[in-house]
Amino acid sequence: MISKVIEVGGGDVSAVAIGGAGPLVFLGGPCAIESRDHALEMAERIGAICRKLDIPWIYKSCYDKDCRSSAGSFHGIGIDEGLEILAEVRSSRGVPVVCDFSDAAWAAHTATVVDFLQIPAYLCRQTHILQAAGETGKPVHLKKGQFMSPWNMKNSVRKIEATGNEQILLTDRGTFFGYNMLVNDYRNFPIMAEAGYPVCFDATHSVQLPTSMGNISGGQREFIPALVRAAAGCGINALFMEIHDNPDEALSDANTQLDIQYLENILAQAKATHEVRLELLDKWGEDNVHLDG
Amino acid sequence: MSTSTAERTIEDILLAPEAIPVMPPKTLMKEALEMMTASRLGLACVLDGDGRLVGLFTDGDLRRLLLRSQKPLSALFSDDIIDHARTNFTSVDRNTCLEDALSLLQEREIFDLPVLDADGKLEGVIHLHPALKAILDA
Repeated sequence: MISKVIEVGGGDVSAVAIGGAGPLVFLGGPCAIESRDHALEMAERIGAICRKLDIPWIYKSCYDKDCRSSAGSFHGIGIDEGLEILAEVRSSRGVPVVCDFSDAAWAAHTATVVDFLQIPAYLCRQTHILQAAGETGKPVHLKKGQFMSPWNMKNSVRKIEATGNEQILLTDRGTFFGYNMLVNDYRNFPIMAEAGYPVCFDATHSVQLPTSMGNISGGQREFIPALVRAAAGCGINALFMEIHDNPDEALSDANTQLDIQYLENILAQAKATHEVRLELLDKWGEDNVHLDG
Repeated sequence: MSTSTAERTIEDILLAPEAIPVMPPKTLMKEALEMMTASRLGLACVLDGDGRLVGLFTDGDLRRLLLRSQKPLSALFSDDIIDHARTNFTSVDRNTCLEDALSLLQEREIFDLPVLDADGKLEGVIHLHPALKAILDA
């Protein structure tokens, strides 16, 4: 299904269109804002790779990490300092930024800086959060909860639409398979696309093993390239990956963030696969195997 | 058919839109089925923003859908009613005589006939039971 196109950014940063038969868009950056210098350096390095590959890019990093396995884990740099850093990333690199928020009261303040408001997967049903995101008027990046069926995401979409906001990106980040394990069901992309919005694959969270290590989450990063190629072949509009220059020492999601040394390789393959997918779409049309034969 | 049914229009047995389950195209199947059940009419009328009838879904459509669909029931409930509504349907205008309307119900073996104005807007529905009552009361 050809989705509608949503636009992120514009004005003093680049405008990134996601959807339709457009190029694959990359959403990426460190999981958490660890420091100003680290955020700016990562933005510089990721931006250079995206420019080299000619891939539209939205910088991702978060000021608050509320969904941690342990109370002792890093909780984030905080909203005020975090937004200052994101504003600097934005203005100095000319790149739109996406950041999540986990309290409805933070939405409006967050939207004064960020171009794209992200709803954490665990909060994807929370009405106040969805309404608050929608009411900012900014496009909304809505992640499918690991516990949610793809068809039930329509309820969350409708909560955002009820605010008059119809700029939504739907993302799959894996589905619980028993305890401490996620799997990817690639049917989720065409099913979620039925809502009419572009869809995205979150590769790094898909390989997470939630809280598999007692008080932190594990992850199997070695599967990221294969899952990315499969998702791009299936049909996605955007790819999400958390990127770090030293994942093992990252302050959050150390077991799933992708080392930046692999980014160019994976993005190049994702882009090539996406372009083949678009060529197939152009040659053979949209999938048309229907129930009625 | 008696002369009286040929002379009478459907006007006095027309069920007004307020008495019919009408809904927008993006109504979830689950909600549509609840509205159909509450109305006891066995049909759903799908209207666009201007009140035009763009789809019709009946108890029979539901039976055929259940026999055909391979989706989990939870997924089917989350579909939009317009995904499964028929967009080709028989309709009449409100000046149709009762006899012609009854003939259509019989020929098509259907229970309901939507009544549309010249713009395709729903003015009501002819349902078999009020029609039978009209005949018996004549």
